[in-house]
Amino acid sequence: MVLGSNQIWSPWTVEDIHAKADLGRYRIRGMSTHQKVTHFDDLTFLSTGLTRFPLEGYKEQCNTSVSLGGLNAENPLELDTPIYITGMSWGALSANAKTALGKAASMAGTASCTGDGGMLPAEREASDKLIYQVLPSRYGLNPNHMATAQAIEIVVGQGAKPGTGGLLMGVKVQDDVAISRDLPVGVDQRSPARHPDWLGPDDLAIKIEQLREATNWKVPIHVKLGACRVSDDVKLAAKAGADAIVIDSMVAGTGASAEILLDHSGIPTVPAIVLAREALRQIGLYGKVSLIASGGIRSGADVAKALALGADACAIGVAALLALNCNRDIPEANFEEEIGLPAGQCNRCHTGKCPVGIATQDPSLMKRLDPDEGAERVANFLNSMTMELALLTRSLGKGDVKSLEPEDLAALTIEASAMAQIPLVGTNKVFGS
Amino acid sequence: MVSLDASELTTRELNTRIKELATNGTEKITITNPAARHNIAVGILTECELEIDGSVGYYVATLLDGPRITINGNAGWALGENMMSGSISLSKSAGASVAASMRGGDMFVGGNAGARAGIGMKGGTLLIGGDSGFLTGFMMQKGRIIVVGDVGDAAGDSMYEGTIFCGGEIGSLGADSKIEESTEDELIEIWNLLEERGISERPHFKKIVSQKTLYHYDEQERHERPLI
Repeated sequence: MVLGSNQIWSPWTVEDIHAKADLGRYRIRGMSTHQKVTHFDDLTFLSTGLTRFPLEGYKEQCNTSVSLGGLNAENPLELDTPIYITGMSWGALSANAKTALGKAASMAGTASCTGDGGMLPAEREASDKLIYQVLPSRYGLNPNHMATAQAIEIVVGQGAKPGTGGLLMGVKVQDDVAISRDLPVGVDQRSPARHPDWLGPDDLAIKIEQLREATNWKVPIHVKLGACRVSDDVKLAAKAGADAIVIDSMVAGTGASAEILLDHSGIPTVPAIVLAREALRQIGLYGKVSLIASGGIRSGADVAKALALGADACAIGVAALLALNCNRDIPEANFEEEIGLPAGQCNRCHTGKCPVGIATQDPSLMKRLDPDEGAERVANFLNSMTMELALLTRSLGKGDVKSLEPEDLAALTIEASAMAQIPLVGTNKVFGS
Repeated sequence: MVSLDASELTTRELNTRIKELATNGTEKITITNPAARHNIAVGILTECELEIDGSVGYYVATLLDGPRITINGNAGWALGENMMSGSISLSKSAGASVAASMRGGDMFVGGNAGARAGIGMKGGTLLIGGDSGFLTGFMMQKGRIIVVGDVGDAAGDSMYEGTIFCGGEIGSLGADSKIEESTEDELIEIWNLLEERGISERPHFKKIVSQKTLYHYDEQERHERPLI
């Protein structure tokens, strides 16, 4: 036996200790957790047989549209598909990437979202439905921009790094990004973890009313939570008056985070949805307050399972960036030389040297991403996911994605059964119930 | 001039009326009987003159771009939060987080201010006639905070840029902040501001600024070194 086969002192652990011994601080990287956790792959659909009949998978109509946040808002967020693009900052991402995401969302009849750096005017122009985030940092927050939004999202926490603020290394805090954020050029930006003007749920209720007044009660107010103490947090956010709650799990992505937070905080998406659903049910607001799931959504199957578990919609981040060309070996790039890792293994968004022009502010790298071509790829991906979702829904004999429900699912592992509160395949047993 | 009686209107009705009147170019709007209500005068994005006659609650005069607002009384938390331009003048004391994330304009607090005054400020001037609480100027980015009286503990904690002037005692400095001597030009400019506000004191203000030691992580990983 050699050291590399040792469970405790794995090659990764050895490398990690060597790196920290050099560094003298925690490590930083992008992407998402490396932990192995229960995910949607641990659930399977129980499609039709003799107990129910399917709809024609490629022909019969299946409604994929959703309306989010209609509890108090005059104009709920109406989407053609229950998949939208999550908040990712202009700064973490290039202007070309943000513009492409906004345009792709419009092409697919869905929404995009700003992020921790204010609104990029080009994204506003490209995105028919823009969700405007209000984060603890308030970087670039402008009430004139807010007034043009189709929804407002108060960010309490982020799944990849709950309990902390954003992180943007100085290499990306340049030119317009620094100006927009009112930060010194080149500073390693560590965003606040707490909002400057409210602390607890009682304050949040007043904050939500403030944002309603600022937007004349027209648009929904979302509250985004990092999935940790889900049951209590969801109840408190709903009671504070949120129209929609975004629950962002530990497998969600980021452009930069302390690695220790990525791997050692939060809970996975599957139990986060179930806990949020039950929390809303317990206070009589399930079906009234919209529930949006994010974190590790990769395909129409993941969306279908999230909806079956109780979500009304899903938000995607990493998947949209992959569609945009993240980690793709494009002709203009040389991953090994430029970032030190092969295409397909890169998680160095924080370095600002993204070889495909997405997670960078370097004008020469940004040129590698054409916003129009990128938008087409992301729109194709969104449409593919929506088709997959509809296909699965029809196979379950349903003509509307909103009809997906927990009994459409079975769990492939005991852990998934316990976390999803779904019977284990081959048994009638729900573990942990 | 148009006068609105807050006791006869819901907050939503009140704000709708204020915005209508401001957009229509009404010269001056007066609000009576605010009764410490939250969220009055939120999201006004046009120039106008507004006077609130009485004490107000949380988030009053917030998310503004242009109005000139006078409040005759005290205010709760987050007065003037994220103001872009315009002015706010409060005759008495403000609660926590006054001028939070303010980006421009001028704010005057006649009395004392609570904790976190000027937190995350990104521009403009906040002038406090009395004392301010702990974490004044926390994570401040730009702009100027002038406190005629004392400043509480952890002043200027983690500030990026901007300046806090303190005319009295500083409880303690926060992480990465330091005290510098004010220049004569700075003092003259501040004293002129005090004159305009009818404040007779002329203290020799101490200046709190960032040490900038937290601007960067000290070390980069080996793979980052040739990159950054």
